[in-house]
Amino acid sequence: MSDYVIETCGLTKKYGEQISVSDLSMHVRKGRIYGLLGRNGAGKTTTMRMLLGLTMPTSGEVKILGRPLHGNEKNILPRTGSLIESPGFYPNLTGTENLEIFARLRGLKGSKYIRDALEVVNLPYRDKKLFSQYSLGMKQRLAIALAVMHNPELLILDEPINGLDPIGIAEMRGFIRGLCDDAGKTILISSHILSEISLLADDVGIIDHGVLLEEESLEKLEAKNGKYFRFTVSNAPLAANLLQSRLGIQRVKADNAHELTVRDLHLDAGAAVRLFVDAGLSVSDAHLYENTLEDYFKQVTGGEGIA
Amino acid sequence: MLKLLYCECLKLRRRPLFFAAPALSALIPLGCALFLPDFREFTNGAQAVDGMMSTLFQMSAYLLLMPTLVVLAANLFFAEQDNDTLKNLLTVPVSKSALTMAKTALLFFFSIAFMAVGGLAVLAIVMAAGWEPVGFWRLFFVGIGEGILMWAGALPCVLLVVLLNRSYIVSVVVTFFYTAVNYIFGMSDYFIMQPLGINPGTLLPGTLAFRWFFQYLDISDAGTEMAELLERISPYFVTTSQAFLVITIESAAFLILIALVYKRQSC
Repeated sequence: MSDYVIETCGLTKKYGEQISVSDLSMHVRKGRIYGLLGRNGAGKTTTMRMLLGLTMPTSGEVKILGRPLHGNEKNILPRTGSLIESPGFYPNLTGTENLEIFARLRGLKGSKYIRDALEVVNLPYRDKKLFSQYSLGMKQRLAIALAVMHNPELLILDEPINGLDPIGIAEMRGFIRGLCDDAGKTILISSHILSEISLLADDVGIIDHGVLLEEESLEKLEAKNGKYFRFTVSNAPLAANLLQSRLGIQRVKADNAHELTVRDLHLDAGAAVRLFVDAGLSVSDAHLYENTLEDYFKQVTGGEGIA
Repeated sequence: MLKLLYCECLKLRRRPLFFAAPALSALIPLGCALFLPDFREFTNGAQAVDGMMSTLFQMSAYLLLMPTLVVLAANLFFAEQDNDTLKNLLTVPVSKSALTMAKTALLFFFSIAFMAVGGLAVLAIVMAAGWEPVGFWRLFFVGIGEGILMWAGALPCVLLVVLLNRSYIVSVVVTFFYTAVNYIFGMSDYFIMQPLGINPGTLLPGTLAFRWFFQYLDISDAGTEMAELLERISPYFVTTSQAFLVITIESAAFLILIALVYKRQSC
Protein backbone atom coordinates (compact mmCIF):
# COMPACT_ATOMS: atom_id res chain seq x y z
CA MET A 1 0.00 0.00 0.00
CA SER A 2 1.18 3.49 -0.82
CA ASP A 3 2.36 5.79 1.97
CA TYR A 4 0.03 8.44 0.72
CA VAL A 5 -3.27 8.88 2.50
CA ILE A 6 -4.43 11.22 -0.22
CA GLU A 7 -3.21 10.88 -3.77
CA THR A 8 -4.71 12.61 -6.76
CA CYS A 9 -3.76 12.15 -10.36
CA GLY A 10 -4.56 14.74 -12.99
CA LEU A 11 -7.53 16.02 -11.02
CA THR A 12 -9.43 18.59 -13.06
CA LYS A 13 -12.68 20.45 -12.52
CA LYS A 14 -14.25 22.61 -15.18
CA TYR A 15 -17.42 24.66 -14.88
CA GLY A 16 -18.32 25.22 -18.48
CA GLU A 17 -15.29 26.86 -20.02
CA GLN A 18 -13.89 27.96 -16.69
CA ILE A 19 -11.20 25.71 -15.24
CA SER A 20 -11.38 25.68 -11.47
CA VAL A 21 -8.77 23.00 -10.84
CA SER A 22 -6.35 21.85 -13.49
CA ASP A 23 -4.43 18.59 -13.68
CA LEU A 24 -3.77 18.56 -9.95
CA SER A 25 -1.61 15.75 -8.60
CA MET A 26 -1.13 16.02 -4.88
CA HIS A 27 0.34 13.63 -2.36
CA VAL A 28 -0.49 13.72 1.32
CA ARG A 29 1.70 11.51 3.46
CA LYS A 30 0.46 9.46 6.40
CA GLY A 31 0.73 11.13 9.80
CA ARG A 32 1.63 14.53 8.36
CA ILE A 33 -0.07 17.89 8.17
CA TYR A 34 -0.32 19.02 4.58
CA GLY A 35 -1.03 22.70 4.07
CA LEU A 36 -2.73 23.66 0.85
CA LEU A 37 -1.83 27.28 0.38
CA GLY A 38 -3.42 29.61 -2.10
CA ARG A 39 -5.22 32.88 -2.53
CA ASN A 40 -8.98 33.14 -2.36
CA GLY A 41 -10.42 31.50 -5.47
CA ALA A 42 -7.24 29.53 -6.17
CA GLY A 43 -9.15 26.22 -6.19
CA LYS A 44 -8.51 24.98 -2.62
CA THR A 45 -12.14 24.40 -1.70
CA THR A 46 -13.00 22.80 -5.04
CA THR A 47 -10.07 20.44 -4.57
CA MET A 48 -11.23 19.53 -1.08
CA ARG A 49 -14.79 19.03 -2.23
CA MET A 50 -13.56 16.63 -4.88
CA LEU A 51 -11.54 14.76 -2.26
CA LEU A 52 -14.76 14.22 -0.31
CA GLY A 53 -16.93 13.32 -3.29
CA LEU A 54 -19.03 16.47 -2.86
CA THR A 55 -18.04 17.68 -6.31
CA MET A 56 -17.49 15.31 -9.20
CA PRO A 57 -14.18 15.88 -10.98
CA THR A 58 -14.32 16.52 -14.70
CA SER A 59 -11.35 14.20 -15.06
CA GLY A 60 -8.62 12.63 -12.97
CA GLU A 61 -8.58 10.27 -10.05
CA VAL A 62 -8.72 10.59 -6.29
CA LYS A 63 -7.30 7.93 -4.02
CA ILE A 64 -8.00 8.19 -0.32
CA LEU A 65 -6.57 5.78 2.24
CA GLY A 66 -5.17 3.70 -0.57
CA ARG A 67 -8.41 3.22 -2.51
CA PRO A 68 -10.09 5.11 -5.33
CA LEU A 69 -12.72 7.35 -3.75
CA HIS A 70 -15.25 6.73 -6.50
CA GLY A 71 -17.17 3.58 -5.61
CA ASN A 72 -15.62 3.28 -2.14
CA GLU A 73 -17.30 6.24 -0.46
CA LYS A 74 -19.06 4.04 2.12
CA ASN A 75 -15.74 2.67 3.26
CA ILE A 76 -13.65 5.81 2.99
CA LEU A 77 -15.89 8.64 4.20
CA PRO A 78 -16.57 7.18 7.68
CA ARG A 79 -12.79 7.21 8.20
CA THR A 80 -12.62 10.87 7.22
CA GLY A 81 -13.59 14.01 9.09
CA SER A 82 -14.12 17.26 7.28
CA LEU A 83 -14.90 20.91 7.52
CA ILE A 84 -15.66 22.49 4.18
CA GLU A 85 -16.32 26.21 3.79
CA SER A 86 -18.59 27.66 6.45
CA PRO A 87 -19.98 25.57 9.32
CA GLY A 88 -23.42 24.19 8.43
CA PHE A 89 -25.79 23.23 11.23
CA TYR A 90 -29.48 23.42 12.10
CA PRO A 91 -30.12 26.84 13.65
CA ASN A 92 -33.05 25.71 15.81
CA LEU A 93 -30.92 23.15 17.65
CA THR A 94 -28.19 23.50 20.23
CA GLY A 95 -24.61 22.46 19.47
CA THR A 96 -25.07 19.19 21.35
CA GLU A 97 -28.34 18.44 19.57
CA ASN A 98 -26.73 19.10 16.22
CA LEU A 99 -23.89 16.71 17.02
CA GLU A 100 -26.40 14.12 18.27
CA ILE A 101 -27.96 13.97 14.81
CA PHE A 102 -24.65 13.31 13.09
CA ALA A 103 -23.48 10.92 15.83
CA ARG A 104 -26.63 8.89 15.35
CA LEU A 105 -26.16 8.83 11.57
CA ARG A 106 -22.57 7.72 12.04
CA GLY A 107 -23.71 4.97 14.37
CA LEU A 108 -21.89 6.39 17.42
CA LYS A 109 -23.61 5.22 20.57
CA GLY A 110 -23.63 7.06 23.87
CA SER A 111 -22.83 10.64 24.72
CA LYS A 112 -19.10 10.10 25.18
CA TYR A 113 -18.20 10.95 21.60
CA ILE A 114 -20.15 14.19 21.66
CA ARG A 115 -18.92 15.18 25.10
CA ASP A 116 -15.29 14.54 24.12
CA ALA A 117 -15.57 16.35 20.81
CA LEU A 118 -17.10 19.41 22.46
CA GLU A 119 -14.48 19.33 25.17
CA VAL A 120 -11.55 19.45 22.76
CA VAL A 121 -12.95 22.57 21.11
CA ASN A 122 -13.89 24.16 24.44
CA LEU A 123 -17.62 24.18 23.90
CA PRO A 124 -19.97 23.21 26.73
CA TYR A 125 -21.92 19.97 26.60
CA ARG A 126 -25.71 20.32 26.83
CA ASP A 127 -25.54 24.10 26.63
CA LYS A 128 -28.94 25.68 26.01
CA LYS A 129 -27.66 28.15 23.46
CA LEU A 130 -29.02 27.53 19.98
CA PHE A 131 -26.69 27.33 16.99
CA SER A 132 -28.34 30.46 15.58
CA GLN A 133 -27.10 32.35 18.66
CA TYR A 134 -23.51 31.17 18.29
CA SER A 135 -20.70 33.55 17.39
CA LEU A 136 -18.70 32.82 14.24
CA GLY A 137 -15.88 31.40 16.35
CA MET A 138 -18.25 29.07 18.23
CA LYS A 139 -19.73 27.89 14.94
CA GLN A 140 -16.26 27.13 13.67
CA ARG A 141 -15.43 25.20 16.85
CA LEU A 142 -18.60 23.17 16.53
CA ALA A 143 -17.70 22.31 12.94
CA ILE A 144 -14.28 21.10 14.12
CA ALA A 145 -15.99 19.06 16.84
CA LEU A 146 -18.15 17.43 14.17
CA ALA A 147 -15.10 16.67 12.07
CA VAL A 148 -13.24 14.90 14.90
CA MET A 149 -16.19 13.38 16.78
CA HIS A 150 -15.90 9.93 15.18
CA ASN A 151 -12.12 9.74 15.60
CA PRO A 152 -11.28 9.68 11.86
CA GLU A 153 -7.89 8.75 10.46
CA LEU A 154 -7.92 11.62 8.01
CA LEU A 155 -9.06 15.18 8.52
CA ILE A 156 -9.79 17.54 5.65
CA LEU A 157 -10.14 21.05 7.02
CA ASP A 158 -10.90 23.99 4.78
CA GLU A 159 -9.75 27.23 6.42
CA PRO A 160 -10.37 25.91 9.96
CA ILE A 161 -9.23 29.07 11.74
CA ASN A 162 -11.74 31.33 10.00
CA GLY A 163 -13.61 33.40 12.52
CA LEU A 164 -11.45 32.46 15.49
CA ASP A 165 -9.91 35.09 17.73
CA PRO A 166 -6.09 35.13 18.19
CA ILE A 167 -6.25 32.96 21.30
CA GLY A 168 -8.65 30.60 19.55
CA ILE A 169 -6.29 30.41 16.58
CA ALA A 170 -3.37 29.47 18.82
CA GLU A 171 -5.52 26.89 20.63
CA MET A 172 -6.73 25.43 17.35
CA ARG A 173 -3.19 25.27 16.03
CA GLY A 174 -2.10 23.37 19.13
CA PHE A 175 -5.10 21.10 18.87
CA ILE A 176 -4.49 20.28 15.20
CA ARG A 177 -0.79 19.73 15.84
CA GLY A 178 -1.68 17.42 18.72
CA LEU A 179 -4.04 15.40 16.55
CA CYS A 180 -1.18 14.77 14.18
CA ASP A 181 1.66 14.27 16.67
CA ASP A 182 -0.16 12.45 19.46
CA ALA A 183 -3.00 10.69 17.66
CA GLY A 184 -1.16 10.02 14.40
CA LYS A 185 -3.84 11.56 12.24
CA THR A 186 -3.22 12.76 8.74
CA ILE A 187 -4.48 16.27 8.18
CA LEU A 188 -5.05 18.25 5.03
CA ILE A 189 -5.58 21.87 5.87
CA SER A 190 -6.16 24.75 3.50
CA SER A 191 -5.53 28.39 4.14
CA HIS A 192 -4.87 31.65 2.41
CA ILE A 193 -2.94 32.75 5.48
CA LEU A 194 0.64 31.91 4.81
CA SER A 195 1.87 32.34 8.37
CA GLU A 196 -0.65 29.75 9.55
CA ILE A 197 0.54 27.19 7.04
CA SER A 198 4.18 27.88 7.87
CA LEU A 199 3.45 27.43 11.59
CA LEU A 200 1.41 24.27 11.23
CA ALA A 201 2.18 22.27 8.11
CA ASP A 202 4.80 19.60 7.57
CA ASP A 203 4.26 19.60 3.81
CA VAL A 204 3.05 22.45 1.68
CA GLY A 205 1.24 22.55 -1.64
CA ILE A 206 1.01 25.92 -3.36
CA ILE A 207 -2.03 26.27 -5.57
CA ASP A 208 -2.78 29.20 -7.83
CA HIS A 209 -5.44 29.54 -10.51
CA GLY A 210 -6.29 25.87 -10.04
CA VAL A 211 -2.76 24.67 -10.66
CA LEU A 212 -0.59 23.04 -8.01
CA LEU A 213 2.61 24.97 -8.55
CA GLU A 214 4.76 23.36 -5.93
CA GLU A 215 4.55 20.50 -3.47
CA GLU A 216 7.35 20.17 -0.98
CA SER A 217 8.06 19.61 2.68
CA LEU A 218 8.14 22.83 4.67
CA GLU A 219 11.70 22.00 5.64
CA LYS A 220 12.83 21.91 2.03
CA LEU A 221 10.86 25.00 1.15
CA GLU A 222 12.50 26.88 3.97
CA ALA A 223 15.91 25.57 2.91
CA LYS A 224 15.24 26.84 -0.59
CA ASN A 225 14.45 30.22 0.76
CA GLY A 226 17.10 30.54 3.40
CA LYS A 227 19.50 33.32 4.15
CA TYR A 228 21.84 34.96 1.65
CA PHE A 229 24.28 37.85 1.48
CA ARG A 230 23.90 40.70 -0.92
CA PHE A 231 26.67 43.17 -1.71
CA THR A 232 26.49 46.33 -3.75
CA VAL A 233 29.93 46.96 -5.17
CA SER A 234 31.50 48.94 -8.01
CA ASN A 235 32.19 45.79 -10.05
CA ALA A 236 30.08 42.76 -9.19
CA PRO A 237 31.60 40.24 -11.67
CA LEU A 238 35.10 41.01 -10.37
CA ALA A 239 33.90 40.74 -6.77
CA ALA A 240 32.35 37.34 -7.53
CA ASN A 241 35.58 36.17 -9.03
CA LEU A 242 37.53 37.33 -5.97
CA LEU A 243 35.23 35.48 -3.56
CA GLN A 244 35.53 32.25 -5.50
CA SER A 245 39.27 32.39 -6.16
CA ARG A 246 40.56 33.91 -2.91
CA LEU A 247 38.06 32.71 -0.29
CA GLY A 248 36.86 29.52 -1.98
CA ILE A 249 33.21 30.60 -1.67
CA GLN A 250 30.72 28.78 -3.88
CA ARG A 251 27.16 29.78 -4.92
CA VAL A 252 28.15 33.29 -5.82
CA LYS A 253 26.24 35.16 -8.49
CA ALA A 254 26.60 38.63 -9.96
CA ASP A 255 23.01 39.68 -10.49
CA ASN A 256 24.05 42.71 -12.52
CA ALA A 257 27.05 45.05 -12.81
CA HIS A 258 26.86 46.17 -9.17
CA GLU A 259 24.90 43.60 -7.21
CA LEU A 260 26.22 40.31 -5.95
CA THR A 261 24.35 37.47 -4.21
CA VAL A 262 26.13 34.90 -2.09
CA ARG A 263 24.15 31.90 -0.88
CA ASP A 264 27.09 30.18 0.80
CA LEU A 265 26.63 31.09 4.45
CA HIS A 266 30.20 30.09 5.37
CA LEU A 267 31.22 33.48 4.12
CA ASP A 268 32.72 35.89 6.65
CA ALA A 269 31.13 39.14 5.52
CA GLY A 270 33.88 41.27 7.14
CA ALA A 271 36.58 39.34 5.32
CA ALA A 272 34.72 39.71 2.07
CA VAL A 273 34.41 43.50 2.46
CA ARG A 274 38.13 43.76 3.30
CA LEU A 275 38.94 41.68 0.23
CA PHE A 276 36.86 43.93 -2.02
CA VAL A 277 38.39 47.13 -0.58
CA ASP A 278 41.94 45.74 -0.88
CA ALA A 279 41.21 44.95 -4.54
CA GLY A 280 40.21 48.59 -5.11
CA LEU A 281 36.46 48.04 -5.25
CA SER A 282 34.07 50.36 -3.50
CA VAL A 283 31.44 48.71 -1.28
CA SER A 284 28.26 50.71 -0.78
CA ASP A 285 26.10 48.00 0.88
CA ALA A 286 26.47 44.63 2.53
CA HIS A 287 23.40 42.87 3.90
CA LEU A 288 22.35 39.50 5.23
CA TYR A 289 18.85 38.79 3.83
CA GLU A 290 16.36 36.22 4.98
CA ASN A 291 13.79 35.28 2.38
CA THR A 292 10.39 34.44 3.85
CA LEU A 293 7.91 31.89 2.62
CA GLU A 294 5.86 34.85 1.45
CA ASP A 295 8.68 35.98 -0.83
CA TYR A 296 8.80 32.48 -2.18
CA PHE A 297 5.03 32.40 -2.63
CA LYS A 298 5.25 35.64 -4.59
CA GLN A 299 8.00 34.21 -6.70
CA VAL A 300 6.16 30.95 -7.43
CA THR A 301 2.79 32.54 -8.12
CA GLY A 302 4.17 35.26 -10.28
CA GLY A 303 4.54 38.22 -8.04
CA GLU A 304 1.34 38.81 -6.08
CA GLY A 305 1.47 38.45 -2.34
CA ILE A 306 -0.76 36.70 0.11
CA ALA A 307 -2.15 37.59 3.53
CA MET B 1 -33.56 4.43 6.89
CA LEU B 2 -35.19 4.42 10.33
CA LYS B 3 -32.17 6.27 11.68
CA LEU B 4 -32.58 8.91 9.00
CA LEU B 5 -36.29 9.22 9.68
CA TYR B 6 -35.61 9.63 13.39
CA CYS B 7 -33.01 12.29 12.62
CA GLU B 8 -35.52 14.12 10.42
CA CYS B 9 -37.79 14.22 13.48
CA LEU B 10 -34.92 15.46 15.68
CA LYS B 11 -34.36 18.35 13.27
CA LEU B 12 -37.91 19.55 13.99
CA ARG B 13 -37.19 20.38 17.64
CA ARG B 14 -38.39 23.87 18.57
CA ARG B 15 -40.52 24.03 15.45
CA PRO B 16 -43.93 24.05 17.10
CA LEU B 17 -45.69 24.82 13.83
CA PHE B 18 -44.83 21.41 12.44
CA PHE B 19 -46.38 19.69 15.43
CA ALA B 20 -49.30 22.10 15.60
CA ALA B 21 -50.13 21.61 11.91
CA PRO B 22 -52.09 18.36 12.46
CA ALA B 23 -54.31 20.35 14.82
CA LEU B 24 -55.49 22.30 11.77
CA SER B 25 -57.34 19.14 10.89
CA ALA B 26 -59.63 19.64 13.86
CA LEU B 27 -60.55 23.18 12.78
CA ILE B 28 -63.14 22.32 10.15
CA PRO B 29 -65.06 19.70 12.18
CA LEU B 30 -65.03 22.11 15.12
CA GLY B 31 -66.22 24.98 12.93
CA CYS B 32 -69.01 22.85 11.53
CA ALA B 33 -70.06 21.77 15.01
CA LEU B 34 -70.14 25.29 16.31
CA PHE B 35 -71.52 27.27 13.42
CA LEU B 36 -73.36 25.07 10.91
CA PRO B 37 -77.10 24.52 11.35
CA ASP B 38 -76.72 20.99 9.87
CA PHE B 39 -75.04 19.87 13.06
CA ARG B 40 -78.08 20.78 15.11
CA GLU B 41 -80.30 18.74 12.77
CA PHE B 42 -78.55 15.45 13.47
CA THR B 43 -80.84 13.12 15.36
CA ASN B 44 -78.40 10.39 16.33
CA GLY B 45 -74.69 9.57 16.68
CA ALA B 46 -74.46 7.66 13.38
CA GLN B 47 -75.73 10.70 11.46
CA ALA B 48 -73.39 13.04 13.32
CA VAL B 49 -70.36 10.81 12.75
CA ASP B 50 -71.18 10.45 9.08
CA GLY B 51 -71.84 14.13 8.49
CA MET B 52 -68.75 15.33 10.30
CA MET B 53 -66.41 12.71 8.88
CA SER B 54 -67.72 13.60 5.43
CA THR B 55 -66.72 17.21 6.13
CA LEU B 56 -63.32 16.03 7.30
CA PHE B 57 -62.82 13.99 4.12
CA GLN B 58 -64.02 16.64 1.72
CA MET B 59 -62.78 19.83 3.34
CA SER B 60 -59.87 19.18 5.69
CA ALA B 61 -58.12 16.64 3.48
CA TYR B 62 -58.50 18.54 0.22
CA LEU B 63 -58.19 22.13 1.35
CA LEU B 64 -55.86 21.89 4.35
CA LEU B 65 -53.85 18.69 4.22
CA MET B 66 -52.72 18.97 0.61
CA PRO B 67 -51.24 22.51 0.84
CA THR B 68 -49.84 21.87 4.31
CA LEU B 69 -48.03 18.82 2.98
CA VAL B 70 -46.42 20.75 0.17
CA VAL B 71 -45.43 23.70 2.35
CA LEU B 72 -43.86 21.27 4.84
CA ALA B 73 -42.12 19.46 1.98
CA ALA B 74 -40.60 22.77 0.86
CA ASN B 75 -39.34 23.33 4.41
CA LEU B 76 -37.92 19.84 4.73
CA PHE B 77 -36.25 19.73 1.34
CA PHE B 78 -34.83 23.25 1.48
CA ALA B 79 -33.60 22.87 5.07
CA GLU B 80 -30.33 21.22 4.09
CA GLN B 81 -29.55 23.85 1.49
CA ASP B 82 -30.67 26.78 3.63
CA ASN B 83 -28.56 25.61 6.58
CA ASP B 84 -25.69 24.29 4.45
CA THR B 85 -25.92 20.91 6.16
CA LEU B 86 -26.08 18.77 3.03
CA LYS B 87 -22.28 18.54 2.85
CA ASN B 88 -22.19 17.22 6.43
CA LEU B 89 -24.78 14.58 5.59
CA LEU B 90 -23.16 13.53 2.33
CA THR B 91 -19.79 13.04 4.03
CA VAL B 92 -21.29 10.72 6.69
CA PRO B 93 -22.13 9.35 4.04
CA VAL B 94 -25.90 9.61 3.60
CA SER B 95 -27.13 9.30 0.03
CA LYS B 96 -29.43 11.94 -1.37
CA SER B 97 -31.90 9.19 -2.35
CA ALA B 98 -32.08 7.95 1.25
CA LEU B 99 -32.52 11.51 2.43
CA THR B 100 -35.39 11.98 -0.02
CA MET B 101 -37.05 8.80 1.21
CA ALA B 102 -36.71 9.88 4.84
CA LYS B 103 -38.25 13.28 4.15
CA THR B 104 -41.16 11.87 2.17
CA ALA B 105 -41.69 9.18 4.82
CA LEU B 106 -41.97 11.94 7.40
CA LEU B 107 -44.63 13.60 5.23
CA PHE B 108 -46.41 10.24 5.00
CA PHE B 109 -46.64 9.97 8.78
CA PHE B 110 -47.67 13.60 8.99
CA SER B 111 -50.62 12.87 6.64
CA ILE B 112 -51.73 9.98 8.79
CA ALA B 113 -51.38 12.08 11.95
CA PHE B 114 -53.34 14.92 10.33
CA MET B 115 -56.30 12.71 9.46
CA ALA B 116 -56.11 10.88 12.79
CA VAL B 117 -56.27 14.16 14.72
CA GLY B 118 -59.22 15.27 12.60
CA GLY B 119 -60.99 11.97 13.19
CA LEU B 120 -60.39 12.07 16.92
CA ALA B 121 -61.66 15.67 17.02
CA VAL B 122 -64.89 14.46 15.42
CA LEU B 123 -65.11 11.66 17.97
CA ALA B 124 -64.63 14.14 20.80
CA ILE B 125 -67.31 16.49 19.44
CA VAL B 126 -69.81 13.68 18.90
CA MET B 127 -69.26 12.31 22.38
CA ALA B 128 -69.38 15.77 23.91
CA ALA B 129 -72.77 16.21 22.29
CA GLY B 130 -73.93 13.08 24.13
CA TRP B 131 -74.25 10.81 21.13
CA GLU B 132 -72.90 7.32 20.69
CA PRO B 133 -70.27 7.37 17.89
CA VAL B 134 -71.84 4.63 15.81
CA GLY B 135 -69.70 3.59 12.83
CA PHE B 136 -66.91 5.95 13.83
CA TRP B 137 -63.93 3.58 13.75
CA ARG B 138 -64.62 2.35 10.23
CA LEU B 139 -64.67 5.94 8.97
CA PHE B 140 -61.64 6.76 11.11
CA PHE B 141 -59.61 4.22 9.16
CA VAL B 142 -61.11 5.43 5.87
CA GLY B 143 -59.78 8.84 6.95
CA ILE B 144 -56.32 7.38 7.51
CA GLY B 145 -56.54 5.84 4.03
CA GLU B 146 -57.52 9.19 2.59
CA GLY B 147 -54.52 10.74 4.31
CA ILE B 148 -52.31 8.25 2.47
CA LEU B 149 -54.06 9.02 -0.83
CA MET B 150 -53.51 12.74 -0.25
CA TRP B 151 -49.85 12.15 0.56
CA ALA B 152 -49.43 10.30 -2.73
CA GLY B 153 -51.41 13.05 -4.42
CA ALA B 154 -49.08 15.70 -3.01
CA LEU B 155 -45.97 14.04 -4.46
CA PRO B 156 -46.26 15.62 -7.96
CA CYS B 157 -46.37 18.99 -6.25
CA VAL B 158 -43.42 18.05 -4.03
CA LEU B 159 -41.55 17.16 -7.21
CA LEU B 160 -42.26 20.63 -8.57
CA VAL B 161 -41.13 22.22 -5.33
CA VAL B 162 -37.83 20.29 -5.41
CA LEU B 163 -37.44 21.09 -9.09
CA LEU B 164 -37.95 24.81 -8.44
CA ASN B 165 -35.20 24.60 -5.83
CA ARG B 166 -35.35 27.25 -3.12
CA SER B 167 -38.05 29.34 -4.71
CA TYR B 168 -40.50 29.48 -1.81
CA ILE B 169 -42.86 31.97 -3.45
CA VAL B 170 -43.24 29.98 -6.65
CA SER B 171 -43.64 26.83 -4.57
CA VAL B 172 -46.48 28.37 -2.58
CA VAL B 173 -48.23 29.59 -5.76
CA VAL B 174 -47.90 26.16 -7.35
CA THR B 175 -49.21 24.55 -4.17
CA PHE B 176 -52.36 26.61 -3.99
CA PHE B 177 -53.03 26.23 -7.70
CA TYR B 178 -52.60 22.47 -7.40
CA THR B 179 -54.85 22.36 -4.32
CA ALA B 180 -57.60 24.26 -6.11
CA VAL B 181 -57.39 22.11 -9.22
CA ASN B 182 -57.35 18.94 -7.16
CA TYR B 183 -60.42 20.04 -5.20
CA ILE B 184 -62.40 21.17 -8.23
CA PHE B 185 -61.57 18.08 -10.26
CA GLY B 186 -62.23 15.89 -7.23
CA MET B 187 -65.77 17.21 -7.00
CA SER B 188 -66.49 17.30 -10.72
CA ASP B 189 -68.81 14.73 -12.30
CA TYR B 190 -66.80 14.82 -15.51
CA PHE B 191 -63.67 13.52 -13.81
CA ILE B 192 -65.39 11.28 -11.28
CA MET B 193 -67.44 9.46 -13.90
CA GLN B 194 -64.56 7.85 -15.72
CA PRO B 195 -63.79 4.15 -15.73
CA LEU B 196 -60.71 2.82 -13.94
CA GLY B 197 -57.83 3.21 -16.38
CA ILE B 198 -55.33 5.69 -17.67
CA ASN B 199 -57.46 8.82 -17.46
CA PRO B 200 -57.60 11.91 -15.23
CA GLY B 201 -60.41 10.37 -13.17
CA THR B 202 -58.09 7.59 -12.07
CA LEU B 203 -54.75 9.37 -12.03
CA LEU B 204 -55.72 12.59 -10.27
CA PRO B 205 -55.51 12.07 -6.51
CA GLY B 206 -58.52 14.22 -5.68
CA THR B 207 -60.84 12.32 -7.99
CA LEU B 208 -59.49 8.91 -7.03
CA ALA B 209 -59.84 9.69 -3.32
CA PHE B 210 -63.46 10.81 -3.84
CA ARG B 211 -64.30 7.65 -5.82
CA TRP B 212 -62.90 5.61 -2.97
CA PHE B 213 -64.08 7.22 0.29
CA PHE B 214 -67.56 8.25 -0.84
CA GLN B 215 -68.83 4.65 -0.84
CA TYR B 216 -68.11 4.38 2.89
CA LEU B 217 -70.40 7.26 3.83
CA ASP B 218 -73.91 6.37 4.84
CA ILE B 219 -76.16 8.73 2.92
CA SER B 220 -79.36 6.70 3.16
CA ASP B 221 -80.96 9.51 5.18
CA ALA B 222 -79.74 12.23 2.84
CA GLY B 223 -81.95 14.15 0.47
CA THR B 224 -82.92 13.37 -3.12
CA GLU B 225 -80.01 15.39 -4.50
CA MET B 226 -77.51 13.18 -2.69
CA ALA B 227 -79.35 10.02 -3.73
CA GLU B 228 -79.17 11.12 -7.37
CA LEU B 229 -75.46 11.82 -7.02
CA LEU B 230 -74.89 8.40 -5.49
CA GLU B 231 -76.80 6.72 -8.28
CA ARG B 232 -74.79 8.61 -10.87
CA ILE B 233 -71.35 7.97 -9.51
CA SER B 234 -71.62 4.60 -7.78
CA PRO B 235 -70.68 2.62 -10.94
CA TYR B 236 -67.37 4.51 -10.88
CA PHE B 237 -66.40 3.76 -7.29
CA VAL B 238 -63.04 2.06 -6.89
CA THR B 239 -62.25 -0.67 -4.40
CA THR B 240 -59.61 -0.22 -1.71
CA SER B 241 -57.15 -2.49 -3.52
CA GLN B 242 -57.70 -0.64 -6.82
CA ALA B 243 -57.23 2.77 -5.20
CA PHE B 244 -54.09 1.74 -3.34
CA LEU B 245 -52.62 -0.06 -6.34
CA VAL B 246 -52.94 3.14 -8.38
CA ILE B 247 -51.34 5.33 -5.71
CA THR B 248 -48.59 2.79 -5.05
CA ILE B 249 -47.57 2.94 -8.71
CA GLU B 250 -47.95 6.73 -8.82
CA SER B 251 -46.04 7.34 -5.61
CA ALA B 252 -43.23 4.96 -6.62
CA ALA B 253 -42.83 6.86 -9.90
CA PHE B 254 -42.87 10.27 -8.23
CA LEU B 255 -40.55 9.22 -5.41
CA ILE B 256 -38.00 8.08 -7.98
CA LEU B 257 -38.35 11.35 -9.87
CA ILE B 258 -38.03 13.42 -6.68
CA ALA B 259 -34.91 11.45 -5.67
CA LEU B 260 -33.41 11.93 -9.14
CA VAL B 261 -34.05 15.68 -9.19
CA TYR B 262 -32.76 16.11 -5.63
CA LYS B 263 -29.68 14.06 -6.49
CA ARG B 264 -28.85 16.24 -9.46
CA GLN B 265 -28.93 19.41 -7.41
CA SER B 266 -25.52 20.48 -6.18
CA CYS B 267 -24.89 20.87 -2.49
